[in-house]
Amino acid sequence: MSILIARDLTKYYGVSPNQVKALDGVSIAIEAREFVTVVGQSGSGKSTLLHMLGGLDVPTAGEVVIDGHEISGMSEEALTIFRRRNVGFVFQSFNLVPILNVYENIVLPIELDGSTVDTKFVEEILGTLGLAEKRYAMPNQLSGGQQQRVAIARALASKPSIVLADEPTGNLDTKTGQDVLGALKMTAKQFKQTIVMITHNEHIAQLADRVIHIQDGRVKSGGTQ
Amino acid sequence: MLLYSVIILAVAVFFCAATVFFCLRYLRRAFDALDGVLDRLLTREAGLPAEITKENRISKLVHKANRVLDAYVTEAAQVSTEKETIQGFISDLSHQMKTPLSGITMNAELLLGNDADDLTAEERSEFLRGIAADAAGLQWLMEGLIKMSRLEVNAIQLVPVCAPLKPTITDAIGSILAAASAKNISISVDAFDDLYVKHDKRWMQEAIVNILENAVKYSAAHSRQSHAGGKITLSVTTLPSYTKLTITDNGAGIPRGEWAKIFKRFYRGDNAADVAGAGLGLYLATVILEKQNGYIMVDSVVGEFTAFSLFLQNC
Repeated sequence: MSILIARDLTKYYGVSPNQVKALDGVSIAIEAREFVTVVGQSGSGKSTLLHMLGGLDVPTAGEVVIDGHEISGMSEEALTIFRRRNVGFVFQSFNLVPILNVYENIVLPIELDGSTVDTKFVEEILGTLGLAEKRYAMPNQLSGGQQQRVAIARALASKPSIVLADEPTGNLDTKTGQDVLGALKMTAKQFKQTIVMITHNEHIAQLADRVIHIQDGRVKSGGTQ
Repeated sequence: MLLYSVIILAVAVFFCAATVFFCLRYLRRAFDALDGVLDRLLTREAGLPAEITKENRISKLVHKANRVLDAYVTEAAQVSTEKETIQGFISDLSHQMKTPLSGITMNAELLLGNDADDLTAEERSEFLRGIAADAAGLQWLMEGLIKMSRLEVNAIQLVPVCAPLKPTITDAIGSILAAASAKNISISVDAFDDLYVKHDKRWMQEAIVNILENAVKYSAAHSRQSHAGGKITLSVTTLPSYTKLTITDNGAGIPRGEWAKIFKRFYRGDNAADVAGAGLGLYLATVILEKQNGYIMVDSVVGEFTAFSLFLQNC
């Protein structure tokens, strides 16, 4: 079952003749529980694609369907709620709330939704990601690798339909990056989570079940399973 | 006085009644909505988009119900994919068994045929060696299959415990040393401080041996063409939460486009056609690593080297 579908996604910036085609007719389908990497050079349009997939930006044309729901037709408010429940994000720059501790950061999206925290599930995630002893630590007391693990935990905690990761190892040195990737792959498997990860690094891409290559705003290979 | 009491009482009764009425109505609506959600689950209908993006409990319930439905549909789809994989597997397997079996049959026929009396002792032992080699191939395939099926149905529980890594590595090398030296391939280990890593010694050894066997196989294929002898190097690096064991050979190499595919069950690389194998070794290694909460990666330059990195959790 395709959990995420993008049809003919197009994103143009500016007007002709100075128009930049960031995305030029991208169609992809992500199956449930797949771990997919999107690989492309910087400027290939891969980050733009991720923003469209997550409903963070509006495409010029085309549609995004997450879990059977077309998100481009939603109102701002509906989209916010939909995103909170269905999409988990992991960014290059961790984006943790500095005044909240590890546990509070992880359960924040659930509490924002006014839902009850599945404490047993969160404990399991903490254990798997090796954060159990750091639960009361503040973000500034953690290393980069640990902060990114917290961000992964936060993305998983609300059991979203899909986790979107944008260069999650981009701000980490090779060793730490390798470490965080392992954690991401392992948790994806353990919690049966669908993941789309953007990277420019072919070596990292191999960890995925499938690799989608993007070039000049178009899919070069791997668009569908 | 009495009049006031009656009025107060009446007002109180009215408010109570109203509260009870609204509570019951809310409950009835909530239960109706819940009933609707369960109906949809039963009939496996697609969700109503409007309902899942509201800030209320029913909307949250519908959202969760959708996710349950997803899980159900996904699992059903996975079962059918698995079925196709198994069909493909059976056809691959029969192909794998055909060659050694026909080799055995042919050699046996030669040994038992009408002209058998004319065979020299040398020819006889050559045919017998052929039978033994094919039988060994079948044996190896069989063992691989048994391991695979046991791992897949969780008949074998891997028990990753904190144990020193050095003995695991040395024992694995020990079991491949004879095959390596027969092909004039040297194996060396970069010095490292022994450390405790979460792993199941017996199975981890199996995974390492699988990688080493590949290295021996493909190094040999390469060294025939070049004058340089085969060389396998092992090194250990400690990361913040994983320990990385890298096994590098100077063999044929693996093209970048195949990196993600080689770990799949029964995958055989284009350049592996002339080397015996079933496409099980790397797959088994991957499963073994995953069952220990680890993972495996490859790096390679065609014609220069192949490096497999095995990641295990630190203690």
